[in-house]
Amino acid sequence: MIGVIAAHQLRMLSRERIFLAILAALLLMTVLAGFIGWSSHNTIVRVYEESSAMLASEGQPAPPNPFDLKPRLSLLSNMTIYIPLIGALLAIVVGHLAIVTDRAAGSTRLIFSRPILRSTYLWGKLTGIAGALVAILAASYVLSVISLTIVNGSAPTADELGRLALFYALSLAYMVLFALVGMATALVVHGRSLALLVALGIWMAVTFMVPQFTSGLRPTASLNPIVDPVSTSQQFFRVTSNLRPFSISEQYRDASASILQTAPDRAAFDGMRQLLPISALLVALGLLTAVLVNRQDLSERGAND
Amino acid sequence: MTNATLLTLAGHDYRAAFRNRVLAALLLTLLFVTTVSVLVAAFGYQAQLDEYERYKAAAAAAGIDTVAPLPLRALQLLRPVVEYLEIIGAVIAIALGYLSVARERGNRTLRLLRTRPVSAGELAFGPALGAVALITTLVVVTATIGVVSIGIWGHDWIDGEQAIKVVLWCIASIAYMGVFYCLGAALTARSRVLANGLVAALVVWLVVVLIIPQIGDTMDPDNQVPGGLFSALNLDKPHETRILANFGTYERVRNGIEELSLAKHYERFAFAILDVKDKYRGMSIGQLTTETRSDIIWMLAYVVVLAGALRMTVGSPAAQSGGDDE
Repeated sequence: MIGVIAAHQLRMLSRERIFLAILAALLLMTVLAGFIGWSSHNTIVRVYEESSAMLASEGQPAPPNPFDLKPRLSLLSNMTIYIPLIGALLAIVVGHLAIVTDRAAGSTRLIFSRPILRSTYLWGKLTGIAGALVAILAASYVLSVISLTIVNGSAPTADELGRLALFYALSLAYMVLFALVGMATALVVHGRSLALLVALGIWMAVTFMVPQFTSGLRPTASLNPIVDPVSTSQQFFRVTSNLRPFSISEQYRDASASILQTAPDRAAFDGMRQLLPISALLVALGLLTAVLVNRQDLSERGAND
Repeated sequence: MTNATLLTLAGHDYRAAFRNRVLAALLLTLLFVTTVSVLVAAFGYQAQLDEYERYKAAAAAAGIDTVAPLPLRALQLLRPVVEYLEIIGAVIAIALGYLSVARERGNRTLRLLRTRPVSAGELAFGPALGAVALITTLVVVTATIGVVSIGIWGHDWIDGEQAIKVVLWCIASIAYMGVFYCLGAALTARSRVLANGLVAALVVWLVVVLIIPQIGDTMDPDNQVPGGLFSALNLDKPHETRILANFGTYERVRNGIEELSLAKHYERFAFAILDVKDKYRGMSIGQLTTETRSDIIWMLAYVVVLAGALRMTVGSPAAQSGGDDE
C-alpha cells in the first residue's frame, strides 16, 4: 500500500504545472551554475594576471594569487545557493501539494475509508516525496557532471564524483526538511494558500533572518556562495554567534563548501558536527508530521478546504 | 471613477488586511527584523564613531592636524532595511495582492460588487489604493524606527537633506512593493485555482528578486573572494577602475543581466540615495536622481505595466469566476 500511495503521489506531481515550472528552473540553474562558475573564475584569473602585470610595471611585487589550487568542483559553488533557494522552495511546494491535492480532491477521506493505517499513509507520502526529490537531484547530478566535463575539459575523477554524490545526498536531506515544513504547515493551517505563505515565512526566516542574527550576514549576502561572517567584536554577535550551529542554512552552506572545497581556507568536512543540526531537525519535523497526520481531521468539514 | 467609491474600497481592503493573521505575522516579522538589524548596525556605528574620535584625539596630541574623514554615513545603516524590503517586503506585497482577490472571490463579494455602480477601474484600483496605504504605513513605520534608532543609539540625527533622501527612498519602496502587489493580484485574478496564482507570483518573485541578482552578484569579480578580490590583491580604487576597463564586455553582460531585475533597480536607487555606495557620496539630491535616472525610469515603467495588468485582470468580469480555496 505504501508503494500505491507513493506512485499516486508521483503521478499527481507530474501533472502539476507549478511543480514542473520550478523543477525546470532548478535544472536550468544547475546547467547555468557550471557556466557561471567557469565564466567568473576565468575572468578573475585574467584580472589577477592584469593586476600582476600592472603592479610589475610600477615596480611593485605581485600579490599571491587568491585562486591558487582552487579545486575543479568549486565551479559548482553556486549550487550551494540554488539548493537553499530554488531547491528548498521546490521541496516546500512538493510537501504542500502532497497534502492539499488529496484534500482538495476529497481523496484523503476516500483513502481512509479503506483499512489503511495513518502511518502507512504517511510512509507512502514520504516515499513519494523522497522519490521525486531523488529523481530531481539525480538529474541535477548528471547535469553537474556534464557541466564539469565540458568546462574542465576532462571527466571528473572518482574522488570528485564521490564528493558530488555526497553534496547531493546532503542536499536531499536539506530538501526533505523543507518538504516536511510544507507538509506540516498544510496540515496545521487551513486554507492552502495561507499554509503555503506560512511555509514560505519559515523558509525566509531560516534562509535570510537567522544568518543575519548569528553571523551578521545581510539578506543579499546570503545569496553569495562566498560569505564573510561578521567578527564577534560586537557584543551582540559575541552572544548570537553561539547559536550558529542552529542556523540550518549556514550549516548546509558550510558543509557543502567543505564537501565541494569551494573556499581554499575552508576546514575539512566534519560530517558529524555539521550534519547533526540538520539530522536532528529532520527527525523532529518527521515526528511532528507523524503526530499531525495522526490528528488529521477527517470529518467532512475538516477534510476539505 | 469616483473618489468616494475608490476610498470606500480602499478602506475596506486596508482594514481587511489587518484581520488576516498570516499577513499580520509577516508584517510584524518584517518590522522586528528590520528594527533589530538597524539597532545592531547603530550600535556598531556608535562604536566606530567613538573609536574614530579617540584616534583623532591621539593624532592631535601627536601634532597631526589633518585626519581623513570617517568613511561612514548615518543613512547607510538603513542598508539591511532596504534588503529586507527588497526580499520580504516583495513577498508581503504579493500576499496582499493575492488576499485582496482571494477574499472577494472566496466570499463571493465580487459578484455583489458588480451589481453596484462600480467601474472596472474602481474595482481594480480601489483595493490597490488600500494596499498602497498599508504598504505606506509599513514603510513609514520602518523608516521612522530606523531613523530614530540611528539618532538615539548611533548618536547621529539626520539633517534636512538626509530627511529628503529618506522620503525619496520611501517613495521608491512603496512603488517597488506596489509592483509586487499588482503582480500578486493580477496573477491570482487570472488563475482558476487561487493558490496557483499565488505560486506563479512567487515563482516570478524568485526569478526577479533572487535568481537574477544572484547571477549578477556572483559574476562580479570582487564578490569571489571574502573581503573583495581587489582588497585581496592590495589594489586601490584607481587601479581597480583601470583593470576593469579591460573587461568591458564582461561587465556589460553582467550589468545587462542585473538590469533585467526590478529588485536590482530598486536596490541601486536606494543604495545611491542612502549613501551606501562610495561613488555617490558627496553628491546633491539633484545629481543623485540624474545618476540613477535609468533606475527611476525602469521602476516607473514596471509600475505602469503592472498597473495596466491589474486593470485588465482584476477589473475584468473573468476575475469573478474560478475556484476558491480559502
